[in-house]
Amino acid sequence: MTTADLVVIIGGVAAIAWVNWYFFVAGRQRGSTARHQ
Amino acid sequence: MTTTSPTTSSDLTIPVQGMTCAACSSRIQRVLERTPGVSAANVNLMTGSATVWYDPSSITPDRLVEAIRDTGYGAVLPAPDESAESLVDAQDAAREDEIGDLRRKLALSLVAAVLTMVFSMPLAELVGHGVADPLMPLMMPLTDLLRRVAPWIGGVSADTWRWLLLALTVPVVGWAGRHFYTRAWAAFLHHSADMNTLIAVGTGAAFAYSVVVTLADDWLSARGIAPHVYYEAVVWIIALILLGSLLEARAKSRTSGAIRRLAGLRPDTARVARDGVELEIPLARLRPGDEAVIRPGEKIPADGTVVEGASHVDESMLSGEPIPVGKRPGDTVVGATLNRNGTLRVRVERVGADTVLSRIIRLVQQAQGSKAPIQRLADRISAVFVPVVISIAIATFVLWFVLGPEPAHLQALVAAVTVLIIACPCAMGLAVPTAVMVSTGRGAELGILIKGGEPLERTERLDTVVFDKTGTVTEGRPAVQQVLGGDESSLLRLAASVERLSEHPLGEAIVAEAVARGLSLVEPQGFESRTGRGVAGRVEGRTVAAGNLALLVELGVSPGRFAAEAERLAAEGVTPVYVVVDGSVAGVVAVADPIRPAGREAVAALRGMGIESVMLTGDNARTAASVARAVGIERVLADVLPERKLEEIRRLQDEGRSVAMVGDGLNDAPALARADVGIAMGTGTDVAMEAGDITLMRSDPLDVPRAIRLARRTMRVIRQNLFWAFVYNVIGIPIAAGALYPAFGIRLTPAMAAAAMAVSSVSVVANSLRLRKGVKREA
Repeated sequence: MTTADLVVIIGGVAAIAWVNWYFFVAGRQRGSTARHQ
Repeated sequence: MTTTSPTTSSDLTIPVQGMTCAACSSRIQRVLERTPGVSAANVNLMTGSATVWYDPSSITPDRLVEAIRDTGYGAVLPAPDESAESLVDAQDAAREDEIGDLRRKLALSLVAAVLTMVFSMPLAELVGHGVADPLMPLMMPLTDLLRRVAPWIGGVSADTWRWLLLALTVPVVGWAGRHFYTRAWAAFLHHSADMNTLIAVGTGAAFAYSVVVTLADDWLSARGIAPHVYYEAVVWIIALILLGSLLEARAKSRTSGAIRRLAGLRPDTARVARDGVELEIPLARLRPGDEAVIRPGEKIPADGTVVEGASHVDESMLSGEPIPVGKRPGDTVVGATLNRNGTLRVRVERVGADTVLSRIIRLVQQAQGSKAPIQRLADRISAVFVPVVISIAIATFVLWFVLGPEPAHLQALVAAVTVLIIACPCAMGLAVPTAVMVSTGRGAELGILIKGGEPLERTERLDTVVFDKTGTVTEGRPAVQQVLGGDESSLLRLAASVERLSEHPLGEAIVAEAVARGLSLVEPQGFESRTGRGVAGRVEGRTVAAGNLALLVELGVSPGRFAAEAERLAAEGVTPVYVVVDGSVAGVVAVADPIRPAGREAVAALRGMGIESVMLTGDNARTAASVARAVGIERVLADVLPERKLEEIRRLQDEGRSVAMVGDGLNDAPALARADVGIAMGTGTDVAMEAGDITLMRSDPLDVPRAIRLARRTMRVIRQNLFWAFVYNVIGIPIAAGALYPAFGIRLTPAMAAAAMAVSSVSVVANSLRLRKGVKREA
């Protein structure tokens, strides 16, 4: 496995984690904050 | 149109442009619902409008329009007095604009797509094929032609080809496909993602990579990376998705045909009498209090009351009843109905949004935009679908990069872009709303107004239909069945003459029969109405009385030879009216509420569909049983007072049945509301339309099995749509990710994915359009 492979794997896992956090967790938190206001 | 309820809440319907799938509409709805001052919102994908309930003291209509625009879609504030019809016109105009715009964008994209493909061939020969698109060989004849026409192209450098391809791609990305990126960005800012996100990320990644290669080709080549570009894939994806959007927009404009036909019923102008002069004015300028003059063959411009003249009016658009209705001063008339043979002067009472026609249009519009419970499943899937697909695309990129053949980074990029493009959830988003819209539109054409997706879904599950006897199984208007006595005509003439001044339905039936037989009636002398018993008076010097047994007792007259016959009639549910002439019973007129022939057919049709019919009536058990026998109903609930009807419905539901109640919508209202599906027989009155889930405009019992058949077909189409949309993604995504590559060497390209996506959306809309046919009026 090359360094480039390793960088892509780590980057890919991080990107998947961020996408799911941004759309599912952060989006929901924002929605509930808006409702409480 | 803006309406204000008794509370401080107002509602406003705003036309919205550019929505292409359920994810778009649910995103706008979410944003509106989160806007301070908004209590509720319903965004209708199919009619392209948003209805918002808001507090006018904390938010203005302009701010609502801004909130919609912030999501990346177009919105214009409607005029304050806009009626349902003009809103439909505005939506139609917006849709026409959208179709024209899409057509221009598609034309440019297709030209650019063919040229990029043709120019990509010599480039591929110069730098080698990166990940060759199977569509490319199709363009080979054009490339060969180009070489013959301009042999010098063999000397053009790879760098020049790349810049030429970039020049062709920029207008497509920057103009034709710009809305995909602006909407995706607006969605991203709201932490949501839709089909635009997938298209924008997919084409954006391919375009950005290609631009980097174009700018730094020497630098990349020096490091052993072949300078391949994917401009043709970007242009083809945008062109094919625009083609899908155009076909979809055209199909959607056909699904709203029912509303347009309803709106098209009203005349454009009205003739009014002002200061003794008749003027023709546009309908929009007609005001309550105006006196409209309607000549034979003209349509009545608005709802009102006849003040002068007599005519017959064709109200079939309202009631489905083909026989014109006689109108005299004092009678009400409804706008958009057709005046047949006489001139009428009508005092206008309701115009614009308040008319019966506008209310029907609103009802159909609301029904077409309402969500079926099954839609919630599609919405839930859409909400999680896009982020999950982006995750799959990233994983695909990583796997191809690490495990794929050389050039690995290109293979990885192409596979990830293909996953993003094939997974656009348009077909899933369209599966339910297109079917609901087409079927409620078809229902409206048949005179069956269905209040949206939820009633449709409940109608499909029905196993019991409860008919209220009067007005549904029977005509609801008593009629003479038989005249017993010596000279039928003279007996009927005497009875009808004395009944002339009676307001009792039995008396009216006798008079109607005499008139129908052409008998000349005379004015009775000393007329006397004896409540609960009958009437009496003098006709041509003779003492005549007509009534029930109680009247005979009061008069001290014996029924004589008619006693047994009257008893038999009563047993059959027929009311005997004794006619007493000069102190003795001369005969009996048998009056009954006639059974509607369609009632029997409806019961038979329901039985054929596996649905049991039950009759509910306030009549005594004997009469009820005889009517039920005549129409073929086996289960009868008799002696039920209006307030007990609700309990009977509940009792049937407690038996585990799914129950529809068919009633006239007035005293049946609680039972209609309690039943799983309330079916109101009505002629477009407010009560009838509001009480039931379904309103049968023609009051035809046969429309009950028709409505159920339509609901069943609709749900079948929805399930087919959802199944195919789901299967398409379940099969398409793994293939796009390269699941078949290790074993068979099969993989898709982004352009093929875009074509597949367009085909799946169009096939869902086409499947829903099948509902426009099938359930026939004669069925």
